[in-house]
Amino acid sequence: MANREQVIYQQTAERARAESRVFRFKPGRAILYLILILGAVLAVLPFFWMVSNSLMTLGETINRRWLPAVPQIQNYLEAWEEANFAKYFWNSVVITFTTCTGLLISSILAGYAFGRIRFVGRDVIFAILLSTLMIPESVTVIPSLLIIRGSVIPLPGGSWLNTLQALTVPFMANAFSIFLLRQFFAGIPNELWDAARIDGAGHLRFLGQIVLPISKAPIMTVLIFAFIGSWNAFMWPLLVTTRETWRPLMVGLWNFVTEAGPQTQLLMAGSVITIIPILILYFFTQKQFTEGIATTGLKG
Amino acid sequence: MTAIPAHPGAPKSSPRSVSMSRQRIKENLTGYLFILPSVLIIGLFGLFPIIFSVYMSTLNWRARKGGFIGLSNYQQALGDFSGVLLFVAGILLFVAAYFIWNRALRSSDNRVLIGGVLAALALIGGGYVLSSGWGQMIAAGDKRFLNALPITLFYSLGTVPAELFLGLVLAYILFQKIRGKELFRMIYFLPYITPAIATAVVFRNIFSPRESSLANWALSAFGIEPMKWLFEPRPIINVIFGTNFEGFLAGPSMALVSIILYGIWTYVGYNVIVFLAGLGSIPNETYEAAEIDGASHWQMFRHVTVPLISPVTFYLALVAFIGTFKAFNHIYVMRTPNALGTVDVASVAIFDTFYKMNNYGYAAAQAIILFVIIAALTYAQNRIFSEKVFYG
Repeated sequence: MANREQVIYQQTAERARAESRVFRFKPGRAILYLILILGAVLAVLPFFWMVSNSLMTLGETINRRWLPAVPQIQNYLEAWEEANFAKYFWNSVVITFTTCTGLLISSILAGYAFGRIRFVGRDVIFAILLSTLMIPESVTVIPSLLIIRGSVIPLPGGSWLNTLQALTVPFMANAFSIFLLRQFFAGIPNELWDAARIDGAGHLRFLGQIVLPISKAPIMTVLIFAFIGSWNAFMWPLLVTTRETWRPLMVGLWNFVTEAGPQTQLLMAGSVITIIPILILYFFTQKQFTEGIATTGLKG
Repeated sequence: MTAIPAHPGAPKSSPRSVSMSRQRIKENLTGYLFILPSVLIIGLFGLFPIIFSVYMSTLNWRARKGGFIGLSNYQQALGDFSGVLLFVAGILLFVAAYFIWNRALRSSDNRVLIGGVLAALALIGGGYVLSSGWGQMIAAGDKRFLNALPITLFYSLGTVPAELFLGLVLAYILFQKIRGKELFRMIYFLPYITPAIATAVVFRNIFSPRESSLANWALSAFGIEPMKWLFEPRPIINVIFGTNFEGFLAGPSMALVSIILYGIWTYVGYNVIVFLAGLGSIPNETYEAAEIDGASHWQMFRHVTVPLISPVTFYLALVAFIGTFKAFNHIYVMRTPNALGTVDVASVAIFDTFYKMNNYGYAAAQAIILFVIIAALTYAQNRIFSEKVFYG
């Protein structure tokens, strides 16, 4: 017991010393903090500007005030109504949800197959899929649009312009997600698979009952990337939505920009509305977010 | 590709080879079924478009598919093929100069002098050939498209080094047992994840030409006259120094510089996160050894951190570079008619050819040209910098 207390005492003393080292004022450290804070201010300033301007009157936005005299909450209602955001917001939710679901299913299956099933031509096919990561959207977007219009190959239902499929199906698979999951699945010890096979499980059951429960982290990373990509998508939705039916929020915001012109306060309110879901996702999954980026960034 | 672990269901030597082979067929089928959805989608929207773009680029395809016109679309974009040849020859001379110089540095003293002279000659000759080739191309080709290429390059050179430098500095500071590290990291990352359309709309307001705009307020704090920012097509050097350079030498327009600032603001946080992870993987003993040798903070940064982090820097540079050549959304949102096309990077120019002018075949040809340029630059970047990367 005495020994244990002694250890704890030593640890506490050491920690106190370590902290005193941190607290001791050093001009060098102050400069470091100054740089960090300056960076943080610059990173946040546009967001602050967005929110404060969204609560101003038109006159206040023109005369550059830092804060509104009286917060104009009704700007949000006005933007919401005028820009038809209710519809676009719902569209974006459905599009994002559908894309994420499709992407998860297809890339979990493919990642599993590339990581754990041996079939003829596996590595060649995988390499070919990976090569698509290099290709700029400018090259693929024109033929893709023609495909969606049904003028290259026959599509079920003729043209897919202004449909949910057009906005979701092209994004339901990508080489990056498959790569990420494959790396993880391939690292799962073979003993688990051998044991499952003795129990008479096939690949699908092994995947569902053993692999998925231990793969939450990489799946979450894929999901976060898919969510952001889908919610933030702009060029493709701009091309395939000529009518309002399935127009997503980003295209709606852009149309609002070209129509609302100088109504800064409404534009800012609209911008705030579009970023809220992403911010909510970010605050709840912050750790997985940054760790996912860090590890994928390194493994690339 | 990384090693793939031994096949889990690999047949162990067994007398029942008939059932084994049936199992192997089943295994193959399962594999194909599992990858089918992904292969279909990526094949249709990722791979097929490349081949189809090449095919489209040889057709006279304006909204409606037309006849075969060979390389006319490419000729329309690039002007004159002899100009292109001259231009490429100029670049090859630059490459030659680089190699001669590298060789010369490694050899004996008086060879350095000869090598230096040769390299300088190759450089001057390359510059001359390149600029006359470019002149021919501009004279005969599509000015809007050709000008988009140096604009894209300005955008890349303006954003990538700055965001890498700031990212590394901030990450290095954050790595020094800083209080509130998590909070700083979270804040820096915010611009990267928020929708580019929304933040670009805000920056349109911040960089508006009004005297009361936030950017002009910041200038006035330093006693500088208000500027027109996104509405200013004049090159930034001309605006600041009142000089009168024309063409490529004049550098990016004020409007493009505003967009570059936005680009840096967006991507620094991403670099901070990846650099932080990279810094974590540098063994502590290296720093301790350097400290024992009496290295100062700056020396440690310069001689331990920078070389050891170079694989990460290289990776980030490559990703950022390709990214800037693909950049579209925020530039599309932040461009104004007043900028007179001085911010139209290649992807925006291609989009206009296709979306506004409905000239599909021509847009496809432009996209293929861009693709070839990206591939060539990526290859060059790989060759030049992979020698300088230190893999511990």
